[in-house]
Amino acid sequence: MIAERAACAINGAAIRRLRNRSLPYAFILPIGVLLLAVSVYPVLYAVWIGLSDATLLQLARARFIGLGNLLRMAQDDVFLQGLWRTVRWDAAVVLSELAIALPIALFLNLSFRGRGFVRAAVLLPYIIPPAVTALLWVYMVDGHFGVINDLLVRLHVLAHPVSWLGESGGSFAVVTAAMVWAGQPLMAIILLAVLQAIPRELYEAAMVDGASAWQGFRLITLPHLMPTILFLLLLRIIWMSNYVDMIYIMTQGGPGFSNYTESVYSFMLIQQFDIGYASAVAVVLAIILMLGSIFYVRHLVRSVLA
Amino acid sequence: MRRRTQLARAMGRCWVAAGAAVILAYSLAPFVWILIASITPEATADASHPWSSARAVQYFPAAPTLRNYVDLFRDVPFALYFRNSTIVATGTMLLGLVLASLGAYGFVRFRFTGRASLLTAMLLTYMIPSVVLLVPLLVIFRRLGLINTFPGLILAESTNTAPFVLLLMINYFSTLPRELEEAAQVDGCTRLGTLVRIVIPLAAPGLVAGGLLAFIMTWNNFVFAYLFTTTDNVKTLPVILRLFVLGEPAVWGVSAAGAILTTLPVALLFLLFQRMLIGGLSAGAVKG
Repeated sequence: MIAERAACAINGAAIRRLRNRSLPYAFILPIGVLLLAVSVYPVLYAVWIGLSDATLLQLARARFIGLGNLLRMAQDDVFLQGLWRTVRWDAAVVLSELAIALPIALFLNLSFRGRGFVRAAVLLPYIIPPAVTALLWVYMVDGHFGVINDLLVRLHVLAHPVSWLGESGGSFAVVTAAMVWAGQPLMAIILLAVLQAIPRELYEAAMVDGASAWQGFRLITLPHLMPTILFLLLLRIIWMSNYVDMIYIMTQGGPGFSNYTESVYSFMLIQQFDIGYASAVAVVLAIILMLGSIFYVRHLVRSVLA
Repeated sequence: MRRRTQLARAMGRCWVAAGAAVILAYSLAPFVWILIASITPEATADASHPWSSARAVQYFPAAPTLRNYVDLFRDVPFALYFRNSTIVATGTMLLGLVLASLGAYGFVRFRFTGRASLLTAMLLTYMIPSVVLLVPLLVIFRRLGLINTFPGLILAESTNTAPFVLLLMINYFSTLPRELEEAAQVDGCTRLGTLVRIVIPLAAPGLVAGGLLAFIMTWNNFVFAYLFTTTDNVKTLPVILRLFVLGEPAVWGVSAAGAILTTLPVALLFLLFQRMLIGGLSAGAVKG
């Protein structure tokens, strides 16, 4: 009888222990299932489609062609030149964002009346839909009634209005300008947070030692900002390489192929129903960017679980 | 000497004012310009030139009008698109909040085998580019009949928002004191009960930030709404804005009014909850 009871207690404890041990998994199960279904499985599926000659119209007849799509990329001028166009787009956007965001962050770090208002205004372009940004800029640079043309003509920079989006250099410049306008606030606000964490005493000590403002910036501010700057560059390069919205809405990738970054190319291929090749292009792009992503996520996990 | 410091201070104030003016002009001028466009009456109803090139640069309309806003609802299915955007963004927000809060609580309050690697895997899904997901989701949605449905769009948007809100909630839950929860458990509250009664109310500011950012991300997203829909009944605002950019319906005042009304909800949410949102923006660095 006693033995029976003891066995029962052990049993109950085992069940309780099992339940306690599986409890955390019960909490993370729902989001795990969701991400498995909408992200993990689709990514694997994307790789499989990328190894086939699937088109949207005859999906059932898709054949496995191995690395055939890779061979096609190696001979595809749009893809090969797209590599350069992607690098050019990344570099132009990300470096311009930094060049604008850093002065803005330094300025917002001063204390003056109305700073909260200016900070809110700075962030506004970042939170509006890219489609709205696209509309704003297309409207502003229009060849007939665009305000930018009008101002440039009045200032005698231009002899007559230019149809910016009609030629390749102009359309690249306009999309870049729009992207930078909408994207730089994120950098500015993150850099501002770092600036505000630099202890005042460092500057005071430097002043006592007779350092100039420029020396203070170069020897104190910049070294503090550097890790964050490098991080932002990495992150923005990854996002910009995958970016479609604004380029597609403003230019449809054109004129010609002039704004076909690899992600825009993949997006256009989908619309031509060439989904096997589209998927292969997207997967190749993702693999190239993966190294950077892993680096970023490792940092995130470490800081979150610390 | 004293006069010189006063002069220097006045100069400094001038520089700050000038800097603020430049920054404000850069950030806000496009909004002002589109606002003016939206109250400018369409130049001439010239039957031989019905297209937009009849328009000229006009810095301020002689006779401002709200006519464009009326036309926006009369000539274009703007109200329908607005409704669709609201449904998709709200649905994505709620789904993300529920699943991410549960998950974040699991990660923060328990130590278990596979904790770090599971979290790594979930945050890695946040780094999967949307471009890679477009083809497989398109094929899967077609097979399951999820094209042209709100649940389909909400699931697609969740690929961005769910891991993001999870990250935000983990950050937020880690800052909450443990003692209250332990007291609740001593008083006989279950784990789920503790989450609902104690943690969620305490984490309200974090939830507001996560939820609103998920709402804004979804409201703004273009590619999913563009690829996974074919009828007006589910298409969201960015899709109709693209038509405006392409010059349809060829009345710039109406397009401008559409842009203003599309921006208004997210701009208002942002301005109202600025303080809570800025922390989240910098913590997670919103995708895109």
